[in-house]
Amino acid sequence: MKVKLLAFAALAVLVAIFPRFAGNYPVKLLQEILIWGIFAMSLDLLMGYAGMVSFGHSAFFGIGGYTAALLLAGSPGLLTGLVLPAAVSAVAALVIGFFSIRVSGVYFIMLTLAFSQMFYAVTFQAAWLGAEDGIVGVPRPRVLGVDLAQPASFHLYLLVVVGLAALFLWSVVRSPFGHVLRGIHDNEARMQAVGYAVDRYKILAFVLAGVVAGIGGALYTQLVGSITPDAFLWTTSGEALLMVIIGGTGTLGGAVLGAAAFILLQSLVSSYTERWMTILGLTFILFVLFAPGGIVGALRGRIGLRA
Amino acid sequence: MFVPDFFGQALNGLSYGVLLFLLSVGLTLIFGMLDVVNLAHGSFYMLGAYAGLATIAALGNFWIALVVAPLVVGAIGAVMERLALRPLYRRSPLDQVLLTFGFIYLFEDLVKWIWGGRIRSIPPPDVFSGSVTILGATIPSYRLFVIAFGFAMAVALWLLIERTRLGSIIRAGVFDAEMTAGLGINMPVVFTAVFAFGAALGGLSGVVAGPIQSASPPMGAGILVPALIVVVVGGLGSLKGSLAGSLIIGQAETFGKAWLPGASMMMIYLVMAAIVLLRPQGLFGRPLK
Amino acid sequence: MRVTRRAFLAGGSAAAASVVAGPWASRSHAQGGPVKIGLVLPYTGVYAVLGESITQGMELVFARENWTVAGRKIEMIKEDDEMKPPVGVRKTEKLIDSDKVDILTGPVHSGILMGMRDKVHSSKTILIVSNAGADAISRERCSHWIFRTSFSNWQPCQPMGGWVAKNVSKEVFLTAPNYQAGKDMMNAFKETFTPAGGKVVAEDYPKLGETDYAPYLTKIKQSGAKAVFAFFSGTDAVNFVKQYDQFGLKGSIKLTGAGFLTEPDVLPAQGRSALGVITGHFYTPQLDSPMNKKFVTDFKAKFGGKTPDGFACQGYDTAEVIVRALKAVGGNTQDKDKLVEAIAKTEFDSPRGRFRFDPKTHNVIQPFIYIREVREVTGGLDNVPIDKVADVRDPGTGCTLPT
Repeated sequence: MKVKLLAFAALAVLVAIFPRFAGNYPVKLLQEILIWGIFAMSLDLLMGYAGMVSFGHSAFFGIGGYTAALLLAGSPGLLTGLVLPAAVSAVAALVIGFFSIRVSGVYFIMLTLAFSQMFYAVTFQAAWLGAEDGIVGVPRPRVLGVDLAQPASFHLYLLVVVGLAALFLWSVVRSPFGHVLRGIHDNEARMQAVGYAVDRYKILAFVLAGVVAGIGGALYTQLVGSITPDAFLWTTSGEALLMVIIGGTGTLGGAVLGAAAFILLQSLVSSYTERWMTILGLTFILFVLFAPGGIVGALRGRIGLRA
Repeated sequence: MFVPDFFGQALNGLSYGVLLFLLSVGLTLIFGMLDVVNLAHGSFYMLGAYAGLATIAALGNFWIALVVAPLVVGAIGAVMERLALRPLYRRSPLDQVLLTFGFIYLFEDLVKWIWGGRIRSIPPPDVFSGSVTILGATIPSYRLFVIAFGFAMAVALWLLIERTRLGSIIRAGVFDAEMTAGLGINMPVVFTAVFAFGAALGGLSGVVAGPIQSASPPMGAGILVPALIVVVVGGLGSLKGSLAGSLIIGQAETFGKAWLPGASMMMIYLVMAAIVLLRPQGLFGRPLK
Repeated sequence: MRVTRRAFLAGGSAAAASVVAGPWASRSHAQGGPVKIGLVLPYTGVYAVLGESITQGMELVFARENWTVAGRKIEMIKEDDEMKPPVGVRKTEKLIDSDKVDILTGPVHSGILMGMRDKVHSSKTILIVSNAGADAISRERCSHWIFRTSFSNWQPCQPMGGWVAKNVSKEVFLTAPNYQAGKDMMNAFKETFTPAGGKVVAEDYPKLGETDYAPYLTKIKQSGAKAVFAFFSGTDAVNFVKQYDQFGLKGSIKLTGAGFLTEPDVLPAQGRSALGVITGHFYTPQLDSPMNKKFVTDFKAKFGGKTPDGFACQGYDTAEVIVRALKAVGGNTQDKDKLVEAIAKTEFDSPRGRFRFDPKTHNVIQPFIYIREVREVTGGLDNVPIDKVADVRDPGTGCTLPT
């Protein structure tokens, strides 16, 4: 436990000082990895711990992103940049979760997918939301008197927010609530029989995951200064899914590794060759066949599925 | 808004629905029998279209392509199952997601490598290249052929599954694979055969859809979600469900486009969400435990 | 087993590390070094053929100049944006921050253009838009640093309105995909259509990426319109035109549209279904000028017999502007204001006609919008010019550039 905290702290320090010796582009890549990483981590809470595989998680990323985009234009601050996007995502997750948990398995997958695609359709066709081009020119918030348009300040801010979100997810997973979630994943009927209000736990897990995903979306809007309907696409959820699986489902930290692997593969390989899709495809295939349990599993030298 | 031609739109809905059926029946078989999440089903559709293109380019005959393309795609499916999918049966379905995602990328790029990224088209066979007017509604004769062909396939598949020995093995396998293996049936071979068959059906739909739609390497991604939706609405593994689901969605989509233009992007998701919430196992699926 | 997995991971990390180290190595930016031209284009996906054509148009010019201008080598850095805004924005950052390109070009996708606009403007990077037609870039979101050699969505459509009303029919059905670009194009058409006495019988906007247009075609038949004006591109254009023909509409209801409906990226797949379709565009390889004939011959010679299209012309013009402007400033890429001035003043004979920028918007002034009809020519089908409208400039509403 202590080792893990030390490792986390060391990693945070490395991330913090990275801009000192790396150019703008690598720093941007790292920042994207942090953001997609936290998004994937929230999905891992849902998938790896609660056993709910969602193909609609991008809905909350998009909701957080659009809320931030709309509100930051007016008054750029922590409230509009993070708190309100998180709150709106929570409400959305509550509603979507309420309906989605009525089913499970592939039906849950498809229902969550349907919800996020509906958001895509609405934002794509709504002129007041920027239609297909989305919202651009979004300013960064001012936090504690500091204008985050300044790259160094933004980097630290990002690190702090992502770090807190990661710690939050980690503590959820280790808490009694997290244990109940895992119990539900292992054997829902038994948990129900023992007297747990399984539905309520599932909804809460869904909401917690949705809130963190919404924060991820809001951070993305702040990083790039814009958001498009693509954020809601099922392929965006799919990419997050890939990140979790590549990193190692049910490991939380793996999600960030998976995000790093995916983004680096996608960005760097395509800078070198037009055949990057073949390389990516083969990488996934070989990875699944020879590195089950994802990156974390391979690092541990054994299959990463929780025994 | 103006009053649309009801019969004409109903015919449109029928041809669209039948196309959806051909697209999704292979997926539902694979899902139902093998419990495999095959996201690469769209790729089989795409490979079928290109196999059809190649056959027509070489032999100039649409009907031959209709036979050759599914065989080619079935073979590809068999190889894919044997080499990559079989090791994963005991593992988490998420691994199948990652694997089949990888194949999506791979197939798309290989096709682009060989044929280039330009949009292609399969011309309809000469005998069906015109249009007919029935009760005041005009419909391309090729679409009438698709409707007839689709129903003929549905009947043929039903006969295969309900009335042949192979069919009974498949049905038994869907119900209880372990038991069926215990009866001495070589399940791994059956699995490969069923996967290949599902792939072949996907490939067949690619050729059949060719004259109506265009072919390009990314075309698989566009039909994956509609196919999944039909499978879910109809019920996993159910042939009847696949037909019923696709016909219903075909009409819903078509009349949605005709009467509620703004909702056409969302229509299919609304229909699915409604059905999943009201009847989670789909129209003809097995009731959930 | 353990050894295998660890070895796999170790080997993979080593490979990844070497891949990662590559583009992060510092790049010198001495005055005598190469001129770096960045391209943000799709090289995968449905619109990869556009990315390819645009790139080829540029390569034709640079090759002719022996990849040298004003004593400096020309270096083209291509980045695949996959038609996805997050990737496009990321690649833009790379080209500007890491590769330190002197001039940026691209993209195809208007969403990516809108997403990169602020970064380009704030970093004072010169961007020459070689495709994306979002009107906003020439209007309220124009920038001193951004030029466009391709077109604004408004340009091919606005002249068509009056022309269709006069020469085809005054009762027209409008259709385009249901997104802002589609609606903008239809509005541009109406600008000259209604004043010419035209009546829009009905409008319908199928979803982007629609594969089955049957319900819309039935509605078109029902509407009583005598002609259709449509905007579709890529696979949508192929599906729409093919199905339009299959439903037997072509004979009774004339199909007209924006040029993208029958451009060479879709025409081969449409085949005979496209015969007789009339579209408006700033270019067609069938243009009879000596400049264009040379362009077509040179292009075919360099690219294995491939006929250039409007996208190739865009790339060609982009590269011509770059080369001429750099020559005018003697290869000095450090003084950006001077370079911008030189670009703005660039004028030359392009395959499409006399090329110049509108100083008010930095958008290209289309010397002509050609009205073309798809006909059989030697070698297959092509867009044959049958009429033209001269001097088409984007209104540039809301654009205030420093003079």
